[in-house]
Amino acid sequence: MSSTSNVPAAATTGAGDTELAGVAAVEAGRSGRVPGWFVILWRNGKCRLGLVMLAGFVVVAVAAPLVTPYGPRVDDFGLSEGPSAAHWLGTTARGQDVFSQLVYGARTSLIVGIVAGVLSTVIALVIGLTAGYLQGVVDEVLSFLINLGLVVPVLPLMITLSAYAPVKGLGLVIIVIAVTGWAFGARIKRAQIITLRTRDYVTAAKFSGDGTMRIIFYEIAPNMTSLIVVGFMGSALGAIGAEAGLSFLGLGDPQTISWGTMLNQASAGGALLTGQWAWLVAPGVVLAGLITSFTLINFGVDALSNPHLRED
Amino acid sequence: MALLEVTDLSVTYSPRDSAQVRAVDGVTFSVEEGEFVGLLGESGCGKSTLGNAVLRLLEKPAAISGGRIVFDGRDITEASEDELRPLRWVDLSTVFQSSMNSLNPVITVREQFADCFAAHEEAAGRGLDVDERAGELLEMVSLPRDVLRRYPHELSGGMKQRVALALALALRPKFVLLDEPTTGLDVVVQREILDRLAELREELGFAVLFISHDLGTVVEMADRVLVMYGGELVEDQPADAIVHDHLHPYTAGLMGSYADPRDEHVEVAFIPGRPPDLSRSHEGCLFAPRCPVAVDACESEHPELLPAGRGEARCLLVEWAVADGVPARKAAPVDQLDAVFAADASPRGAADGEPVLVVDGAGKTYKVRRGGKSTSVRAVHDVSFALRPGRVTALVGQSGSGKTTIARMITGVERPSDGTVRFGSTDVGSLGRRALRGYRRHVQLVFQDPFSALNPTRTVAYAISRPLRNHLGLGKQDARARAGELLETVGLSPAAQYLDKLPHQLSGGQRQRVVIARALASEPEVLVADEPISMLDVSIRAEIVALLDRLVRERGIAMLYITHDLLSARLLADEVMVLNQGEMVEHGPTMEVIREARDPYTRKLLAAIPHPGAPRPGGAQTAGPAEVATPALP
Repeated sequence: MSSTSNVPAAATTGAGDTELAGVAAVEAGRSGRVPGWFVILWRNGKCRLGLVMLAGFVVVAVAAPLVTPYGPRVDDFGLSEGPSAAHWLGTTARGQDVFSQLVYGARTSLIVGIVAGVLSTVIALVIGLTAGYLQGVVDEVLSFLINLGLVVPVLPLMITLSAYAPVKGLGLVIIVIAVTGWAFGARIKRAQIITLRTRDYVTAAKFSGDGTMRIIFYEIAPNMTSLIVVGFMGSALGAIGAEAGLSFLGLGDPQTISWGTMLNQASAGGALLTGQWAWLVAPGVVLAGLITSFTLINFGVDALSNPHLRED
Repeated sequence: MALLEVTDLSVTYSPRDSAQVRAVDGVTFSVEEGEFVGLLGESGCGKSTLGNAVLRLLEKPAAISGGRIVFDGRDITEASEDELRPLRWVDLSTVFQSSMNSLNPVITVREQFADCFAAHEEAAGRGLDVDERAGELLEMVSLPRDVLRRYPHELSGGMKQRVALALALALRPKFVLLDEPTTGLDVVVQREILDRLAELREELGFAVLFISHDLGTVVEMADRVLVMYGGELVEDQPADAIVHDHLHPYTAGLMGSYADPRDEHVEVAFIPGRPPDLSRSHEGCLFAPRCPVAVDACESEHPELLPAGRGEARCLLVEWAVADGVPARKAAPVDQLDAVFAADASPRGAADGEPVLVVDGAGKTYKVRRGGKSTSVRAVHDVSFALRPGRVTALVGQSGSGKTTIARMITGVERPSDGTVRFGSTDVGSLGRRALRGYRRHVQLVFQDPFSALNPTRTVAYAISRPLRNHLGLGKQDARARAGELLETVGLSPAAQYLDKLPHQLSGGQRQRVVIARALASEPEVLVADEPISMLDVSIRAEIVALLDRLVRERGIAMLYITHDLLSARLLADEVMVLNQGEMVEHGPTMEVIREARDPYTRKLLAAIPHPGAPRPGGAQTAGPAEVATPALP
């Protein structure tokens, strides 16, 4: 790439255009070793904290066997012990090490967050973009679906779905969360594409012979990257919370160790009565920590999509 | 003492990711009380930055890095926001480039005036009757009083710009900054607003700093003109001296972009190349790489802004001429520039050739349903013409005259309600979706706005390869190779340097070349160019016109050139059609239509063409090179 500076461009295009965000990212990503979007995220103090926290969670989850002294299901310790040097956070009513469970639980939360987040983002993208781009009858039908998804009370639906599903398991939890959580994102993406679909470059793509789907996903979608990322972060965050909630209610997969099931067992095992505060508090704290890290990262993503929010 | 004194002002952009850019470098000028000063230069020369600096409106990462701004005896270079607030709008006001967006969309025009009066009670006077005063102001800019009750979206672009002007004058400021206040408006509307502005200045006597890239308008309006290039002032002369005795080669280049379309022989020049990259330091004259008369010394010695002629100029050649006692005149006459485009220079396709596209009695009526009532709007009525290979047909008309509807019917975006559009033996109006896609291989579009016609996230190679792959069925590698060839054809060479660029890395002119290359990719027989030069700097317009002309001749393309700029129509077109309210009012060979304009609208358009140096009714300028004097207008 030649050394042409992008500064005059930045100086002359005074009009704030959300499309520039994507461009700034693509551009910086091409020329530097560090991707441009990452530079913008890292520069934001709140976002940096969030990224560090998230990285911490990921490292711990991936390296769980190395971090933990015992397996998460090993139950040959004393029952309902308080914190000690051997068991930092004590043991459960079944004699399992709470700390080990906590570390392995991070895996579940992250997997659910990422997979359910991706799934609901994809559903939201396909439905929202198709509805907004095509308009007319297709839009009417899809918008009806979106509205339906918005007005149906999510928690009862989730509980009903997971309670009556013939199979249990993490997959079910993920599917339930994705199916119930896409509507809001779809609505936002539909609104955004309605403003983008009349751009000249879309007309140009039609004249170039491109088909509808190609126009939607190759021409328009890249211009709303930051919106898609914000949507993904939102749904991932919601999914982590929802999984913990379902598991706490006992509707999750009892075979999977997650922070939600830990809370459920702590509550069922009378952690409060036996004074095992660590067993009860620890899953809540890490859950709050993970959700906070996502929220903090979202500040940076906002800055990515809106140059005015970038801190100087 | 002058009203506004700017001394050695520098503005530096310091973005965090890239090198510093000195957008304004050591600029010194003053504006006297009641004086009208024009500030000229191409996009990216630092004009708007200078304007914002004078108003102290710079935002990060830009900041004043040196110099002083003294307004009315007060140094405002370091003044705090609280000190500036009572000054702003009362003494210093502005009309921005996109005043369309500077009006608050959720409140009525009256409220905008009321806000302005409420914020400056002392200046506006206590207990002021808002309706009365705002009504007066609207009448001043030739708007009816009932505009007060309307919201900005209910007004046309020209009306909004007038409201913005009335707002700027609401508190009788001593100084108004106008930053390209009419760019983007219909030429006729533009002319009306500028004429009104000139009258108002006579009446109210405020000083103006008028920023524009359009030398023609500036020279007509201003008392004195500053020419800016690469962040520096390069020339400062009284307006009539800029026209007849300009000294700097850059000014000469800007002047070259004008001609009278009624002349027997019309030619315009352009300035090849791009403004310098200000993030790097330069030795020598900044203009040297683009200068047709540069000598060796220009490469190494940076000229100073020195007194010359009736003002100042920054050019070594002028400096030497002054030192030698030779009258420093026309260091670089236009005809020395090698970038000249002349109309009718080379032969075109035959006037009676077999037409490739025939529009026969086409009309379009839109049904508008509002509140249960259905009314029909006739956008186009009974229009007939034919496009022939290797010939250009210009379609002229004001906004809303139906030009775009005709373009949409020809490209198959709309179906005509009456009559037919035939391409060879196909009836375009009856094509289905799939057939339409095939048809578009033959009919392509060049867009008006090169900034929105290219996807900001897609490379040049991607944009050009899409039609190649879809319409011509080329493979990935072949498409890329062909895209390179197309870039060379439109003058972007070496192509390898441009293929992987993103649109924002290109200048406006370069983007428009890419748009043209994309339109050519599928080897179309018909090209519809929808005001392809109206968004570009005046100084490079001729470049794009020359390119279109060459492509039409070399490739035998039939082109429909939509415009409201009669000069470019004269340069490019073989025949001209004038459209007024959906009906064709004039149609004939270019020279005939332009020189013997019968329709009032055509005459208005002719009058609206800025032509520095030509006599203009009401203007007291000396006779210019125009052979045919402007006819008196009704």
